[in-house]
Amino acid sequence: MNSNLENIKHAVVAGQHADIEQMVQKAIDEGDKLNEVINEALIGAMDIVGEKFAANEIYVPEMLVSAMTMKKGLELIKPLLTDEEAEYRGTIMMGTVKGDLHDIGKNLVLMMLEGAGFEAVDLGVDLSVEKVVEEVEKRKPQVLGLSALLTTTMPEMRKVIENLEERGLRDTVKVMVGGAPVDAAFAEQIGADGYGKDAAEAVQLAKRFAGA
Amino acid sequence: MDMKPDFERLRKAANHEEPDRVPLCEALIDYAIQSQFLGRTVTSDDLESQVTFWAEAGYDYLPLTVGMMQPGKVTRDSAISKVIREVMLRDSPDADREEAWNLELTSFIETREDFEKFPWDVAAELDFSAIEKAAALLPDGMKVIALSGKIFTLTWMLMGFNHFSMSLILDESLVADVFRKVAEIQFKGLERILKMPYVGAIWVVDDLAFGTGPMISPQAFRDHVFPWYREMAKRCHEKDLLFLMHSDGDLNPLMEDIIGMGVDILQPIDPSCMDIVDVKKHYGEKLCIAGNVSNELLRSGTVQEVEQRAKELLSKVAPGGGYCMGSGNSVPDWARYENYMTMRRMTLEYGTYPISL
Repeated sequence: MNSNLENIKHAVVAGQHADIEQMVQKAIDEGDKLNEVINEALIGAMDIVGEKFAANEIYVPEMLVSAMTMKKGLELIKPLLTDEEAEYRGTIMMGTVKGDLHDIGKNLVLMMLEGAGFEAVDLGVDLSVEKVVEEVEKRKPQVLGLSALLTTTMPEMRKVIENLEERGLRDTVKVMVGGAPVDAAFAEQIGADGYGKDAAEAVQLAKRFAGA
Repeated sequence: MDMKPDFERLRKAANHEEPDRVPLCEALIDYAIQSQFLGRTVTSDDLESQVTFWAEAGYDYLPLTVGMMQPGKVTRDSAISKVIREVMLRDSPDADREEAWNLELTSFIETREDFEKFPWDVAAELDFSAIEKAAALLPDGMKVIALSGKIFTLTWMLMGFNHFSMSLILDESLVADVFRKVAEIQFKGLERILKMPYVGAIWVVDDLAFGTGPMISPQAFRDHVFPWYREMAKRCHEKDLLFLMHSDGDLNPLMEDIIGMGVDILQPIDPSCMDIVDVKKHYGEKLCIAGNVSNELLRSGTVQEVEQRAKELLSKVAPGGGYCMGSGNSVPDWARYENYMTMRRMTLEYGTYPISL
């Protein structure tokens, strides 16, 4: 990796949002390959940010500023990409189930996925089973993430999976679940494809499911 | 078994002494559970029944919320929701829409201008009527614990969590000012509470951590939040009151800070991410700990499983004092009544010191 890419990567990890545009512009001007700037520097940096977050070396504020920094860099490159290059790596859809208004964890995962080059669709909170299934049918995501913070709303996750099966959509989408009261055993019990114990793990899981 | 309330029981546990038995400890027990216990409907404004419940169920105190989040969580009638609906949204056609006033769904302070125009004076008008009324209702030996001082949560809720988090790095002075305003209001309430002789403790109910660790960096807590708590603990101790703290999540990286601030009792030692035996081993001589019976167990476990868990806690954590029995969060309406009663019964039956399990 050349020094331009190293500098960009370091700036994203350190959240140097004021400097990133200048650094990315320099890389563009000096002829660095755009896909390398995106994949190796910007997205590569977010992988490090995810690892640091999982290890409690950084926390939500630092992660959000890194993501914002990455996004500013990406915005500069996007208009220069060809249609083929600009394609998303996949679509990942996430929401908090019916009866639950909590969305911090879900938002973190979405933001990280967007940073990783996915179309990250936020379905919102307090989602009815019908709404989730309707959106899956309409947008055909590779991965559906369901979040719950309340023990009482966990059964809604099972209902979504059952409904996807009834509508013949279950095989079209990988379902991952997460949230404070959820664990791997529960995920298996309700027939989910995976469980992420925190935002970083959920991102890794989503990337694996989406084949990225 | 002596069922009379005795606040000294809690004080002894907080001082790492063995009282007559392990105290029972919750910040919140849903009115549905209280109603079932008393065999009559208990409501939020029926203070007399609440006192009867907490005393007859074996608690040594009556918990009452005094502060901007009164009565304890974000509802239409929370003090802060009323400020938002009746002052900020007074002329808005959306004032009655939950999305417009519920701090879990929306936020109000994004800029310095928002901060300046927020109706802080109105928000500072706290309601002390319940806590004042309680004075005449308390049986001998029972005290009020005032649930107050929600500084961290209120600040991020007013700003929205994402915006608060970003601002902590990008506009730190704005965040510090919101913290200061919220803390000043909570301290104003505290001044009045500390003059009430029937108040035995202040209980800060303020979640600081996710299951995976602190919500912001330990250093950011030290810079913006913990100094307020330290001052609160100091003022409590000057008046011989206990200082309790509730926080969900994995607090391990913050334990030394929590002890250093002067917290007497930490609750609930979140069972989903903290090992209470380990906490007792490392910090048991400096800190009294409370709770840890998982809410999931209270919801879906069998009576035998709750019995077993209560016995484990009584035998492994209670010896030597410094432990109070309770849930891993609070006792919500969805907890199985018989499981709550089992946790309580086990404490009354097997929690007598010296523990012989």
